[in-house]
Amino acid sequence: MSMMLRKITDKSFTGLAGFSVVLIIMALAVVLGPMIWIGATAVVFKGTVEFRELQYDLHQRGDRGRLKSETSEVEKVRKKIYAQIDQFKRGIDTESLVAESRKKYREYKIFLKSQNLPDEQCDKLEDNAKEIRNTLADVYDSTDKDTIIKTLDELFAAYPAKQFEHTPVAEMLAAAHDYQTVARTIDLSNREKYAESLAEVQERLTKLLGPRPGEDKPALIMEQYGATRWDVAQKQLKMILWIEDWEETEPGKPMTKKLTPRSNQFAGTTLESFFKNLETDLPNLLKPQREFYWQYFIDDSTEGYYYGGVGPEIIGTLLFTVMGMLFAVPIGIISASYLVEYAGDNIIVRTIRICVNTLAGVPSIVFGLFGLVFFVKVLMPALGYESKPCILTGSMTLAILILPVIIRASEEAIRSVPLTYKEASLALGAGKFRTLVKVTLPAALPGILTGIILSLSRAAGETAPLLFAGAIAVGPIPESILEPSRVLSYGSYDIAVGDRYASMVPHKQFGMVVTLIMLVLCLNIVAFVIRSRVSRNLRGQ
Amino acid sequence: MTSEPLNTIPPGEPVVFTQPLYLSPGEDLVGYISDLAGRFILFMITCASVLAVLLIFGFVIREAVPFITKHGVIDFLTSTSWFPQAEGAKAEFGGLALITGTLYVTIAALFISVPLGLLAAVFLSDIAPFKVRQICKPIIEILAAIPSVAYGFFAVMVLAPWMQKHLGFTTGTNALNASIILSIMALPTIISVAEDSLSAVGRDIREASYSLGATRAETTIKIVIPAAHSGIIAGVVLGMMRAIGETMVVWMASGNASQIPHPWWDLSQSIRTMTATIAGELGETPRDSDHYHALFAVGLLLLVFTFVLNMVSEFFLARFKRRREVTR
Repeated sequence: MSMMLRKITDKSFTGLAGFSVVLIIMALAVVLGPMIWIGATAVVFKGTVEFRELQYDLHQRGDRGRLKSETSEVEKVRKKIYAQIDQFKRGIDTESLVAESRKKYREYKIFLKSQNLPDEQCDKLEDNAKEIRNTLADVYDSTDKDTIIKTLDELFAAYPAKQFEHTPVAEMLAAAHDYQTVARTIDLSNREKYAESLAEVQERLTKLLGPRPGEDKPALIMEQYGATRWDVAQKQLKMILWIEDWEETEPGKPMTKKLTPRSNQFAGTTLESFFKNLETDLPNLLKPQREFYWQYFIDDSTEGYYYGGVGPEIIGTLLFTVMGMLFAVPIGIISASYLVEYAGDNIIVRTIRICVNTLAGVPSIVFGLFGLVFFVKVLMPALGYESKPCILTGSMTLAILILPVIIRASEEAIRSVPLTYKEASLALGAGKFRTLVKVTLPAALPGILTGIILSLSRAAGETAPLLFAGAIAVGPIPESILEPSRVLSYGSYDIAVGDRYASMVPHKQFGMVVTLIMLVLCLNIVAFVIRSRVSRNLRGQ
Repeated sequence: MTSEPLNTIPPGEPVVFTQPLYLSPGEDLVGYISDLAGRFILFMITCASVLAVLLIFGFVIREAVPFITKHGVIDFLTSTSWFPQAEGAKAEFGGLALITGTLYVTIAALFISVPLGLLAAVFLSDIAPFKVRQICKPIIEILAAIPSVAYGFFAVMVLAPWMQKHLGFTTGTNALNASIILSIMALPTIISVAEDSLSAVGRDIREASYSLGATRAETTIKIVIPAAHSGIIAGVVLGMMRAIGETMVVWMASGNASQIPHPWWDLSQSIRTMTATIAGELGETPRDSDHYHALFAVGLLLLVFTFVLNMVSEFFLARFKRRREVTR
């Protein structure tokens, strides 16, 4: 082979090896980047007035006075939006118009009686009102546009609204006026179609702005408020402004999304401008403002993770892992001390080592199986408790899982204590046990601590062992360690795959998993710092 | 009575010990027995891990035996129809599709992670300067620290929609998705074990090769890697174990369809692994039903798989250690 070619192979080999490391680091960035980016929006985001209302209603957070002035400002703008819808609705929904005019007529009769007018005048006024009511009933029944407009014009000319000022009849006439305005612009034979589209607009508007003031409060908290976040609000706005359709462009190909403006449905009507107004007025309707929602880490979540935070999940994770540590750490350190300091190299010790390695290799789901059959089905009844998965069984399962990790880390730490320490202690007359407790273990402590923290992070991220041994996806906050608990890891699974509502709030989905990742990474960083400090100390000597 | 200071040794005079420096068992019976007892207690506690392994095997076997005696092993290992929820005798427990599913994703993951991991290990042990290595190693450790459920989350929320949109697959959760994620998860194990064994190959061997005029690529490929091969194989086996035993990623990303892809190389189809089957079905299974015991049989199979692989990796690691001692 020529020298040139060999050099090129060498260089390309070096490049390839470097490239592979770059690729791995890129993979890490690709995995973590988008998740952290979206997950961060669970804490830092633009919150709307609805969000501040929710915070005040549920947790009494925020300034009452400021919130009140804000809501009243918002209500003013919203009134205009609602008025536009109501006007259009009047033009569509003739049945309720007929019913309303009848009701107003009755109210008017009562009103007249209360006025103590002379009988003659009273009768005349009542006849007028009856005439108006009957004409209106005919008009509302008719579908001929020209007749409607003409009849109404005549009616308005005959009975100017001034004549009935401050009476129910004036309201009746105002409704008729709205009807006329709307009737001018729409195709009257298509009323039902309009009504259908309008109902959809209203439904979506409730999702954007929440239920109207005065309406009954829905039972679910997630339906009591409109869009609490600016990004959600914009998504909802898009759903109002555009109609989403899936259509097949070519047979056999996946369907493609097609957007058509919803205002097309209302082309030429009074409602056409509504969509433009809504779009331009949206900031005034919701008053977005940057929020730092740190309470995300302590709040409980509402149904379907829709609002709120991950507080119970964090506490559950810590409970499981810390309790698991309580079981595993003493056993682990003692085992490691024995293996390093006392055990020789015989068949029993070799068996123990093989067992530790086997334990480290057992798939995590098998630990879950074992936790179910041993801790839940055998041990709990034996201890006199109910045989059900709970925090106790889950943490014991985790303890077995991390036992080999702790043993290996502690062994390494104890082994790295310089021999001179032990020799000095032994020379002073201390026994083997005393040397171990007073000299070797304290010297190995930072290393052991590193191992403990790393296994803590491992335990916090494990899901499979807890599936059948104590973790649940939804449920109350546990009151004792004999109850199951929510955890971050299983919650991350459930929020991504299991829960239907959660898919509407991606920031909550990513927020949960990023909280878990952050918890684990923080533990790792702490371990890393301790380890580098220890290695510096050892080098210094 | 005035107290005299203890242990005062008059200067210039020889020290006289009144007690023997080492007590025989007969002279210090209490000390001797307490030492033995302490040692015994430590030993018993150390045996906890042995006990744990025995209990795990014992209980998983105990729960799997009713299934094996009733349905037999042959059917379980050769049939691909897994219909555990069917009524009574119609229920079928053919685990072949699950086993092939596990092998599918594991082998596909190794196809990605072994070359990549080996190259990265070579880079870290032979090529990178000290500073670069100090930065790269913690970053790769982060890969190992990320919880598996987070990888699964990424697979189902980010990678699956991307695949469906840009690669034109009918479903984003498929064998390829699971394999890619598993390969990322197996990488840190493979890299760290392989790097350890590569750096354990002595400098003298490398320098001998360089002095004969070999380039770095030639030295690495022809000398260093063959010398470190048993350590590398151990690393690959450990990475394989991680992929086989992984639950959350395959449960979330593989699509969970109990089938053997047809044609066999089509990775864009959904598959289902043994671990995902247990995770997905045990929660809804009534205790002590056939289905319940069948899932424990799957668990037992997994346990046997990983146990054998563990033994293989132990064998290679031991051989690697022996060789290193010989060369030193």
